[in-house]
Amino acid sequence: MRLTFLPTTIAHWARAAMAFGTVAISSGCNLNFWKMDGPQSTINVAGPVARSQLQVFYVTCWVTLAIFVIVASVLAYATLKFKARSEADAHAEPPAQSHGNPLIELGLIGASVFALVIIAVPTLKAIWFTYDVPAEEKANTYTVNATAYQWWFKFDYPSEQIAGVGPLTASNELVIPAGRPVRIDLRTMDVIHSFWIPKLAGKVDMIPNRGNAIWLEADAPGYFWGQCAEFCGDPHAIMRFRVIALGPQEFYDWVNRELAPARQVVPSASTAPFTTHTFKTDWMRNQYGYTGKYDADPLQSWREKQEPEPGENPALIAQGRRLFQSKTCITCHTIRGHEGTGAVAPDLTHVGSRTTIVAGLLENNTDQLRRWIHNPDSVKPGNKMYLGLGGMPGYLKKDDQGAWVPNITLTADDETALVAYLQSLK
Amino acid sequence: MDASAHSSDLTPGASAPHQPYVLWRPTAKTGLMSWLTTVDHKRIGFLYGLFALFFFLVGGCEALLIRLQLAVPNNNVLSAHEYSAMFTMHGTTMIFLAVMPLGAAFFNFIMPLQIGARDVAFPRLNAFSLWTFVAGAIILNVGWFLPDGPPNATWVGYAPLTSRTFMPGHSVDFWVLGLQLLGAASIAAALNFIVTIINLRAPGMTMMRLPVFTWMTLITSFLIILSFPAITIALVELLMDRTFGTNFFEVSNGGMPILWQHLFWIFGHPEVYILILPAMGIVSEILPTFSRKPLFGYPIVVFSGASIGFLGFAVWSHHMFTTGMGTVATAAFALATMAIAVPTGVKIFNWIGTLWGGHLQMRTPMMFALGFIWMFMIGGFSGVMHSAAPADAQQQDSYFVVAHFHYVLIGGSIFALLAGIHYWFPLMFGRQVSEFWGKLSFWIIFVGFNVTFFPMHFLGLNGMPRRTFTYDSNMGWNTANLISTVGAFTLGVGIALYFAVVIYTYIKGKTVGRDPWDARTLEWSIPNPPPEYNFLVTPTIHARDAFWYEKHHQAEIAQEKTAHAQAESAHGGIHMPHQSIWPLIASLGALIGAFGAVYHNLPVALVGGVVLLAGIYLWSLEGVDGYHLHLDADGNPVEDPSAHH
Repeated sequence: MRLTFLPTTIAHWARAAMAFGTVAISSGCNLNFWKMDGPQSTINVAGPVARSQLQVFYVTCWVTLAIFVIVASVLAYATLKFKARSEADAHAEPPAQSHGNPLIELGLIGASVFALVIIAVPTLKAIWFTYDVPAEEKANTYTVNATAYQWWFKFDYPSEQIAGVGPLTASNELVIPAGRPVRIDLRTMDVIHSFWIPKLAGKVDMIPNRGNAIWLEADAPGYFWGQCAEFCGDPHAIMRFRVIALGPQEFYDWVNRELAPARQVVPSASTAPFTTHTFKTDWMRNQYGYTGKYDADPLQSWREKQEPEPGENPALIAQGRRLFQSKTCITCHTIRGHEGTGAVAPDLTHVGSRTTIVAGLLENNTDQLRRWIHNPDSVKPGNKMYLGLGGMPGYLKKDDQGAWVPNITLTADDETALVAYLQSLK
Repeated sequence: MDASAHSSDLTPGASAPHQPYVLWRPTAKTGLMSWLTTVDHKRIGFLYGLFALFFFLVGGCEALLIRLQLAVPNNNVLSAHEYSAMFTMHGTTMIFLAVMPLGAAFFNFIMPLQIGARDVAFPRLNAFSLWTFVAGAIILNVGWFLPDGPPNATWVGYAPLTSRTFMPGHSVDFWVLGLQLLGAASIAAALNFIVTIINLRAPGMTMMRLPVFTWMTLITSFLIILSFPAITIALVELLMDRTFGTNFFEVSNGGMPILWQHLFWIFGHPEVYILILPAMGIVSEILPTFSRKPLFGYPIVVFSGASIGFLGFAVWSHHMFTTGMGTVATAAFALATMAIAVPTGVKIFNWIGTLWGGHLQMRTPMMFALGFIWMFMIGGFSGVMHSAAPADAQQQDSYFVVAHFHYVLIGGSIFALLAGIHYWFPLMFGRQVSEFWGKLSFWIIFVGFNVTFFPMHFLGLNGMPRRTFTYDSNMGWNTANLISTVGAFTLGVGIALYFAVVIYTYIKGKTVGRDPWDARTLEWSIPNPPPEYNFLVTPTIHARDAFWYEKHHQAEIAQEKTAHAQAESAHGGIHMPHQSIWPLIASLGALIGAFGAVYHNLPVALVGGVVLLAGIYLWSLEGVDGYHLHLDADGNPVEDPSAHH
């Protein structure tokens, strides 16, 4: 075969590879992916349940790696040693037609069983440990109920009751005490979902007609990523949540803030006039929704979100509150202390103090909130706020012919006011 | 097949028997009609292979689109809806329309030849299996042409997501009925293979002399007839829920969605072995041939295959470790899953034992077979990691699992099937694939495969869930995903090259005589191209590697064959089954009926049912008769000696 074309081809491919490499590195590729230290790492864990699961993984990993090294060495040796190296070799008399050796076979079966016992013992221990809170810690356990909806999570705190209302309710951001076991009862309102906070505990499914529970504990205060881990419909990838673990005092303060009804912003004489805010508007579908500041220290961002936004405009906020009613948002969302009693969508009583919106998809800031309410379908395709839920219309409704027609429409001023109002709900 | 004593016509050649016109027997040996009415196991096997490879390429294109979407974070190649349709169809297509029928292609083509049979036990049922498979494949893919697109509820279709409430479109109905038809086709084919292996073995072919591939065909067939009824029940229940408003999985009326998972995985786990045991059988044929020595520890390889089959039914709930089964059930299924690693490991030990002390011929099929051992070993070890339930709680539904089962299904099943195509190509088409291009395609596939799927282990452990159409750039998943996509396209190039080489070889490849590999089993003893009747004289089996024995005892065998030929001629010659159109008609009825059922159109459903029943009725009415061939020692037709009486 003629190979004269190769040099130019190789040079061509080398140039292409270099160009590709440059693009890859400049676009934020790092070659340390084998460290597995991302926010949903199961290796870089932060609690006893995930640690127990990790230890079992390491046992399986080392045992199988040891077997692999031995078997692979023998396989590689046999392949190289007995390979026919020449034509004469290939056509030599066939080797001895041996049929096997029962003693070797039995020995290898025994060795495999032994290796599996090494894995089985810690596995069994961890099955019982990860299943429920250890008996001696039961009294110290904090309980939360998690309920999954297509495509978001609701969290109820049965030990924090509000007179005349029921348990404290939060959405998509679960705040827990650090250093204490937390038992979470898992329910679903529609299809099967799965509750997964990789750094704290492996997943447990949320299955209709089935009462599942998970327990976990955060070693120290921190900010953790969670995500639905069972396919639950097209927007499954956008069903995420966050867990914020706080020290005892900070957790106590948070509970007290949450128990209070939604914040009232009283207009004062010095109120600034109504102004249209300029938002960033050129969002691409599925574009990344976080700032570098949040990425650098999300827990700090969370703490800052607990404070009122700088430069609040009470007139604007009041206008937003009126729109929240007139645009029928209140049918599905509750803002406790203000208007709204809807229970099929996330509780927004303290939505302004969360770090994320849209089930953990976007950072909770004015630009992203406006991006979400401006065109929900491009942010989270198929979401129920856009298409409606259980016969209730959303941004769209079906006309008599069954065609989708607009139902909720917002002007730029409406969006400005709604964003200001929702951001004020600390 | 000597039940022909009652047949109405015993004249040589293929002239039609005297029957009412409606029961006319097609006799075309070439052209479209000959393929549509064929009952020849080799032609049916070839058609299975052709359809399977077509769907393999379709599933591969779906995979490339999935990888393209995930190449970079926050990507927009596919929408969320298109993405979920794509991975649903990728999984369903690859399992039911590519790997299973490719296995069936080899069962059909090779197994009867390995046991010295002239066809399968029920040739027309075999044709029915083929055409019902085609009908199922069509039904499954109708969704591409519907407004809401193909089904998008994952290949496992967990209730209640598949209920009318959450999936109101028709695509799920087509998915259900497509799987039902494929199940019927698989069960019919499996029963046929079982009866064939039990009853049609040549004299002397005892069970413990069966080639390992035939053994694995037998075990796989038993797995099919025992596991498919479970998914059939689940699919009937789902169809009843969707069509008639029953409440098997309907939560608001007390249905139990978890029931679906149990039924699905009681089928689904044996299905994994339905996909891998044929591959193990192929590898167990190739390694001895190219090592030029018998399989090491044949009885243990066979026995471990059977134990995998048995244990395969006792581990289904390891797919459900995260469903909150409780400690005891979780522990039991964890231990049972670990136990299945033992017979699997035994097979690997025995393959290495087969290599040991051999004269290894590094030909293309051997490269794929060795690649299989390496890749299957890695997939097996990550499988052991999943068996440890607490570790699995982190790995379940993450990319770690995606990496695991692609190592088992591509590195395992597909590598072995690709090896099998190269290995048996000279037998099927009398041509041999070029070593240079065959090995080049192997290396591209091998590298591309590992670059695609090895990084997925890291992605999974780093918390990336599967079945997600997008991910954010701050999760630490960017690099591994990009590498994986580059690998996927490399793999795609390798597969494209592989098939280009195979097509080129089919048209212009080097022609070879029979038995170019100096092989060991009976299929290589027949002339090339294989005659319709397979064996001029039914062979007598004296040893496990029957053809190897023949080659080394030629005088004895020649004597024996002459005696057999005389005996067979005295019995009326070689009996051949007649072709038939009715299996195709019956399958067509099933296809029409499925459309009627999906659209709740009673007349269409009834027409389909009538055509199906009429096809089966006429097929039984036309009878099992056949005709006889009288051939001389070179395979040329001679006049019927009985005509002189």
